[in-house]
Amino acid sequence: MQLFVEQLINGWALGSLYALFGIGFGLVFSTLGILNAAHGAYASWAAIVGYYVFQWYGVPFPVAVLCGVFGGGILAILVDQIGFQPLRSRRMGMLGALITSIGFWIILDSLAGSATGHQSLAFPASSYPNAMVQIGPLRVPQMQIIIILSLIICTIAIHLLIQRARIGAAMRAVGWNDVAAAISGVNSRVIILLTAFMAGATSGLAGVLGGIATSNVSYTLGEGLMLKGFAAVVVGGFNDVRGTAVAGIMLGIIEVFVAQYISTAFRDGVTYTLLLAFLIIRPRGLFGSANFSRA
Amino acid sequence: MRIRKFSLRFAASILALSGAMAPNAAFAEPDAGEYKIGFISEATGPLAAAGNSYLHGAQLAIEQINAEESAGKGVELELVEKESGSDAARSVQALTQFIADRDVLAVSCCILSPVAGAVKPVAIAQKMPLVLYGATRPGLPELPYVTSIVVLPGPQEVKMTKMLAEKLAPKTVTYFVNADNDGFQGRFKAAQEVMEEAGIKTGGVVSILSADTDFTAPATQAIATNPDLIMVWTTQTPAAGIIAALRARGYEGHISASDVISPAPVFERIGEPLAGIPFPTSFAAEISTSPEAKAFAEAYEAKFNGSPDTYAAQGYTAMRYIAQGLKSLDGEPTREALANAMASIAEITPNVYGGLPMKEGQADVDKALIAAWTKDGKITTWEGN
Amino acid sequence: MEALFDFWAAYGSTVTFAMANAFFALSTYAVLSTGVLSFTTVTFAAIGGFLAAQMVGQFGLHVYLAFLIAGIGGGLGAAVVASLFLRLESHWMALASLALVLITRVTALNTPGLTGGVNGLVVPVTISQFELFVLLTVTTLVFYRLHNSWYGLASRAVREDAAVASTMGISPYRIQFTAFLISGAVGGLGGAALAFTLQFISPDTYFIGIAFTMIASTVLGGSFHWFGPIVGALIFTALPAAMQAVVPAVEDVAKGVVLILIMVFLPRGLIDPRAIGLRRAAKRRRDIEHEAEKTHA
Repeated sequence: MQLFVEQLINGWALGSLYALFGIGFGLVFSTLGILNAAHGAYASWAAIVGYYVFQWYGVPFPVAVLCGVFGGGILAILVDQIGFQPLRSRRMGMLGALITSIGFWIILDSLAGSATGHQSLAFPASSYPNAMVQIGPLRVPQMQIIIILSLIICTIAIHLLIQRARIGAAMRAVGWNDVAAAISGVNSRVIILLTAFMAGATSGLAGVLGGIATSNVSYTLGEGLMLKGFAAVVVGGFNDVRGTAVAGIMLGIIEVFVAQYISTAFRDGVTYTLLLAFLIIRPRGLFGSANFSRA
Repeated sequence: MRIRKFSLRFAASILALSGAMAPNAAFAEPDAGEYKIGFISEATGPLAAAGNSYLHGAQLAIEQINAEESAGKGVELELVEKESGSDAARSVQALTQFIADRDVLAVSCCILSPVAGAVKPVAIAQKMPLVLYGATRPGLPELPYVTSIVVLPGPQEVKMTKMLAEKLAPKTVTYFVNADNDGFQGRFKAAQEVMEEAGIKTGGVVSILSADTDFTAPATQAIATNPDLIMVWTTQTPAAGIIAALRARGYEGHISASDVISPAPVFERIGEPLAGIPFPTSFAAEISTSPEAKAFAEAYEAKFNGSPDTYAAQGYTAMRYIAQGLKSLDGEPTREALANAMASIAEITPNVYGGLPMKEGQADVDKALIAAWTKDGKITTWEGN
Repeated sequence: MEALFDFWAAYGSTVTFAMANAFFALSTYAVLSTGVLSFTTVTFAAIGGFLAAQMVGQFGLHVYLAFLIAGIGGGLGAAVVASLFLRLESHWMALASLALVLITRVTALNTPGLTGGVNGLVVPVTISQFELFVLLTVTTLVFYRLHNSWYGLASRAVREDAAVASTMGISPYRIQFTAFLISGAVGGLGGAALAFTLQFISPDTYFIGIAFTMIASTVLGGSFHWFGPIVGALIFTALPAAMQAVVPAVEDVAKGVVLILIMVFLPRGLIDPRAIGLRRAAKRRRDIEHEAEKTHA
């Protein structure tokens, strides 16, 4: 029983990382209509930035995380403005952006490899909260609690922003139809920059926290998050961050339980089959609305 | 002009062949001149960390060979690198480019067995001597053209496991193993067999995949089996992550691992949790005692500002092997003559292992060091505590 | 002459891989030319590759027969995929096809009896560059014929606007289903071509790498004409080798930069019938003006 609960928490924390990453990925897809292959690199780079800020300046843990998150956001803006903006004016659709994003993926991964000396780095154990918290008979690592709380806070904040705030309404408008949005007075350039930043920052947060918790800061970090985060977004439904959060946690828990009680060999198979089943049977996901907004 | 040179070369190769058969072959020397050795590197991509070590080892070897003239008087070797990023198709392309360059006498390649498997038939068909520096699947070498200086897994693991069974006397052992790597599957099975023969129970087997990064759940799973010893038979990134996760979750029992944790960057990354964990290795700069090993470690330290790991030693050995083959040739060396010369080598000299016999083109060493990291990041011989 | 010979010996294998990639690019083009972005070519390639390898390795069939079976296998796989996927809205289909690529690898890893699992399969037979060239030429001829047939016209109509096409009596579903069948058969051929070229395949041979290579090749070369994907595949395959020769230190970065530059400055690809058409029209206009000026004078 204790093992069951411990694994449940492990899965929840793992899934929270997938969901955090997925929220960023989904924002870009639903608002900007871009299937971004370079998104995983934002997470890798956020972790790398956080790592070096810590190594060079010895800043405290929260500052290192914030720097990483900010780095992820800035990188997303740069990629968007250099690679996607020129295509936007020509109405190239999803395909052109996909190809440029592949280009950025190759570049950013290669640069990340150089930046880390092709090694897997890790934050020193003393640099982050690495003790175990005793909750009744259970012992839970502090990082897991931080990760779980981060997802809850980000989900609520972004959901409220999109559904309640004026700026969120503008984002939804751009996502639905950017021409119509522009006609009704929305400054779509600002919305695009803001969305790109938020997406990069959220996925960056997943990268930094994941890099710390798994002692793995490297250019391969983003790739793992990318595949699972992508699954979380599809299963949860693109235009609802709550769906992504729930789906991400669910996938994390399923993954851990399949490995614990069935077999590691089937672990990824179960995740991806679930993903395909959702796409074919219920493409709008758990919580998504009936139609894809950009159709 | 070219044609004349070519026919000269042909004549020379016949001479070389007859020279090899002559009784005074030991005094033969290859013609002075500059020859190229192709090196298919993996300095980018998923295995770049190890790939750089292999490359550095090879670069050092070439430098020393040229300085010592150990490939023959006046023989200057040039290492030509082509990057493959551990991709099979790019490796094959690099090899064919080397084959097309007539000055390239031999090629060294490949960490991954599938990549080696794709490159091998091309080398054989085009008659290019190919020395494998990293891939460990049994059966890859094929004389005379394909040889491997990598010691196959097996004996080292058995030796360490016997030692652990004796010194630690565990009652239950739990194993971590790569579900998607046949090399580590083999090592795990060899270890498990030894343990079970000694009457030690298997508490559990936790499978992970090479690309995994989060090991909290597998660690929880392993700890729940309540073992006296946890053996980690996985590739590098998972092995480091697993050990970190086990210690972070408060596991205080014994752990053992493989030589993947021996490179210095792994200690820099994981730090103290790695201390005292035994692993078998055929070379470790700090504890290999032969004069060749000491000299190699010193020269490497001076050139690259860091101590060589087991991969660097393999890259170094591959080049030494080729130079040794070249040295025994007479006249203008050809690929075919070089392959035959290398195939007939029974012991690579100099080597850093204190003896490196070659059997059927496959390095075969039975000496294994059981090493461990100390708390301050040095490798020592593991004494069993 | 000698230099040319050396060059060919050095880069001949690059051309071989480019031809194998051209099959994948054509397979992607087949569906893309009806307005469907799909990564399923990877799955068809895996089916074709492992099928061909097993046919030759296990049953000792001739290479040509193995190619035939690979093409049919890929086509059958495509029929199943198309009947499931074509009900989806286009964005979802792109994602579903990406999911299928991920599943393909997991499946291949866990069926060692068919694919060799993690150990992969050794392919004991190879084909010559010339044979591959002939096969690619024949395939290209088929695309050429299709391009100039009713089907080609109909597929362009479906791509531009499916709703308008259906008012003209063209069934988008049937056109796209056919496109998937062609994509499957060509993808299967490509998978077999890669297997016989590499002579060693494993589940990782048919994965995301191919997916991005083929989609980039197609869009790079131009997705509006059958010749585009072939040019794209050649360039995309030669790019790493070229970058290694020119800027070895940053070859990957250079490869990415080239990709982005082409996309930003030639978003419709290198081979663009519309641009060629526009250029011709402009020339005609100039000629006419010229004539007019002359007569005026």
